[in-house]
Amino acid sequence: MRSIGTPMKAAVGFAAVGLALAACSSEGGARNQPGAAGAAGGEEYTIAMVTHEAPGDTFWDKIRAGAEAAAANHGITLNYSNNQDAGEQATLVQNAIDSGVDGLATTLPTPDAIGPTVQDAVDAGIPTVAFNAGINDYQNYGVTMYFGSDEDLAGQTVGTKISEENAGHTVCVIQEQGQVQLEARCAGVQKTFPDTEILYVSGRDLPAVQQTIGAKLQQDPSIANVVALGADIALAANQAKADSGSQAQVVTFDLNADVAQAIESGEILFSVDQQPYVQGYMAVTSLWLNLTNGNDIGGGGPVLTGPSVVDQTNIGPIVEYAQNNTR
Amino acid sequence: MTDTLAEHAAPDLKVGTPLVEMEGVGKSYGAIRALEGIDLRVNAGEVACVLGDNGAGKSTLIKIISGLHPHTEGTVKVDGKPVHFSSPRESLDHGIATVYQDLAVVGLMEVWRNFFLGSEIRKGKYPMAPLDIAAMREIADTELQKMGIVVKDINQPIGTLSGGQRQCVAIARAVYFGARVLILDEPTAALGVKQSGVVLKYTAAARDAGLGVVFITHNPHHAYLVGDHFIILKLGRRVLDKKRSEVSLEELTTEMAGGQELAELSHELKR
Amino acid sequence: MSSSVATKPAAPPPAAPPPGRAQRSLFSRVLGRPEVGALAAAIVIFAFFYAVAPPFRTLPALATVLYASSTIGIVAVGVALLMIGGEFDLSAGVAVTTSALAAGMITFQFSLNMWVGVVVSLLIALTIGFVNGWLVMRTGIPSFLITLSTFFILQGVNLGVTKLVTGTVATPNTSALDGFASAKAVFASDIPLGFMTVKVTVLWWLLFVAVGTWLLLRTRTGNWVTASGGNQASARAVGVPVPKVKIGLFMGVAFLAWFLGMHLLFNFSTVQAGLGIGNEFIYIIASVVGGALLTGGYGSAVGSALGAFIFGMTTQGIVYAGWDPNWFRTFLGVMLLLAVMVNLYIKNYAAQRR
Repeated sequence: MRSIGTPMKAAVGFAAVGLALAACSSEGGARNQPGAAGAAGGEEYTIAMVTHEAPGDTFWDKIRAGAEAAAANHGITLNYSNNQDAGEQATLVQNAIDSGVDGLATTLPTPDAIGPTVQDAVDAGIPTVAFNAGINDYQNYGVTMYFGSDEDLAGQTVGTKISEENAGHTVCVIQEQGQVQLEARCAGVQKTFPDTEILYVSGRDLPAVQQTIGAKLQQDPSIANVVALGADIALAANQAKADSGSQAQVVTFDLNADVAQAIESGEILFSVDQQPYVQGYMAVTSLWLNLTNGNDIGGGGPVLTGPSVVDQTNIGPIVEYAQNNTR
Repeated sequence: MTDTLAEHAAPDLKVGTPLVEMEGVGKSYGAIRALEGIDLRVNAGEVACVLGDNGAGKSTLIKIISGLHPHTEGTVKVDGKPVHFSSPRESLDHGIATVYQDLAVVGLMEVWRNFFLGSEIRKGKYPMAPLDIAAMREIADTELQKMGIVVKDINQPIGTLSGGQRQCVAIARAVYFGARVLILDEPTAALGVKQSGVVLKYTAAARDAGLGVVFITHNPHHAYLVGDHFIILKLGRRVLDKKRSEVSLEELTTEMAGGQELAELSHELKR
Repeated sequence: MSSSVATKPAAPPPAAPPPGRAQRSLFSRVLGRPEVGALAAAIVIFAFFYAVAPPFRTLPALATVLYASSTIGIVAVGVALLMIGGEFDLSAGVAVTTSALAAGMITFQFSLNMWVGVVVSLLIALTIGFVNGWLVMRTGIPSFLITLSTFFILQGVNLGVTKLVTGTVATPNTSALDGFASAKAVFASDIPLGFMTVKVTVLWWLLFVAVGTWLLLRTRTGNWVTASGGNQASARAVGVPVPKVKIGLFMGVAFLAWFLGMHLLFNFSTVQAGLGIGNEFIYIIASVVGGALLTGGYGSAVGSALGAFIFGMTTQGIVYAGWDPNWFRTFLGVMLLLAVMVNLYIKNYAAQRR
């Protein structure tokens, strides 16, 4: 590997010089931010949380952050696992049953595939709560508690708000074709604002998302609103809007720190937040209350964690919450 | 066709000078002894033929001389100095060039690129210096014409040439780049009669230009046409080692076909 | 040839005039190039969308198509050279994200100048490429398996390290850091060309394609790349340092993945850890559509660019045409099939003429 040596050495040398000479950034960065405090607690119950999280998605990270905060508050050991594949997720639920957990919190994105195993957990006497997905089906499998947002309702909220604030041709961007919850959101938008068409993009490739939305804006200059179904998609839509010189407004589901800032500065019109942190937090807390106090929250019906509309009028404190990964 | 050879063969070669000497050379792969007790002398201006059936140890012998696998026993000397090759490059640097039966060329590459592969002419010494393509085309074209190989276009992929022509290009390439010892691995195995003739003529020409040639084959007829010295390998051992003057084609053929064993068998089966 | 040489080498007759040697015609030489099929397919698909999608005819649309092509094409150049060298890299898509995450997190956590992160992440990327290549050469295990392992490892590292460092699964917004603006100018700016404005990635892409083409056709290294992929044993036997060549190719892919990673970071200011999965196949598809053989030893850098252009044109063209989005993937599949078939047809035609 003689020939590789010289350029490598040069590169290492360059990096070392760069590190040594680089002045510390005057603004931004972790060093210039106030530190965050942590929480601690003991251990009593073990609760399994099983989701259909796609690894590396900020939305799911908030659900998990909420669940972990609740677990820490109540001294619970939280076993988190996830798989996008419905069959694999059912196996994870079975693993939880087999390991004799005290409580189970699971999502039901594909009720037919995961439901029967959840029914087994209920039959085995494990207190079970469903959250985030499966609002129409969780009761069929003996589950009594549900925390989540009604995607259809959330979509309708967006449609209504669009018709009030910026009525005009709307594009609803779905980043994963065939995903039931995402399709339900756009269907909800179409119910209350019929002049809405759907655009599919490839959500794993942000430049591609930006390029496709940009192409759509160029193709149809009459577009007045772009509805994004996730925070990162909204930011890509914003870039596409800037590139194509379009006057369209960007509307989104979910929040993150950058979206919160964009709402504050008016670049994004509003966001419909289903408050994922609350879903995770409440799923664990409700199990804890059930185990320690026999509570049954919601009286059999779903407890809605959204839609919570965030726009310029109420964004103020939310910017900071979003930066803390709790909104 | 000898122009190429005469021009590029090293001028200090004298017929009969030993170039490569092997004494008691053997090779073990773990517990398996692929080759043992081989003595072989390759003299300048002579063709040493190594004959043997499949699995006799011919390819192991080639791998040792060409530097692909180092030997584990005995000594290998080049120009009287002991050597222990650990890469084909080392062997090449000692003037030993190997032309493999099926690995001689890269089929999808152009003729001239194949001719200069590994020894390209560049317009400068710096790392990314551009190739001197015009010069390489010119030289490859001239050299091939000199040896009578007719290619329609020097830019055509070498895979479009016939098997015999490909072997000749590979041999010519080795000679052009100053090889003193040529190892030819089954150069005629996959060829028809006419094609084999082309290769054999070129082998003889290389010998006459003063190069030492190791001709590896399982065909005693081809070997006898060009050889000065014959070695027959069987199961990794040497079973015959004779000069041309000491052996007849019949003897070679019989020995290759099974020799003593065959005689016994024919005695048993006699009707 | 003269038959007397074998017996009377001392007196060779003068060589007869070379019979029937001629340069092949320009036309048949052009047809012999690996990328000619892709060029034909690109023209057909361009003409097709030009006819059916009016917005496709505008310059801003062309800019978007070129941008889409460039983000595929930049890595595809390296992947094509690697494939010509006879190897695959399935970790390229995820390595893009790894580079972006590394640069974003290092600079943010230590509040450093952005350029430090750019350089350090380059070193990380080159190390990944080196390890890929070294493992393939050292173990002899097919690169398909080695880089599939790297793909999984990096996916986990992307997620695990990001979560460990930032507490979330995305890098913080880095746009306030020193050096962000100058780095953005290099990796993610808009370049006005007078008649149209293009993303800077388009220019970089063209540059990388030009360098790749020059490297492949005009340098010794390129000769060695083709030989290593076409017949590794033969290349070794004539003294080509095959391991060095192949490790270099893996590092080249890693370099280009890093470059796209920098574009990702400076375009969006923040990077999610789960991005990039699946793109490795798009790079390979672009190379293959562009004429690279899956078995190695044949292909071109220009071809990979044409493959990327076909892919970018098709994905955006479907949107410009306003077709029913439910069928998006189907259209995409049909278009790619069309491209590959035109490609094959032209190649067969070229082979017959030869």
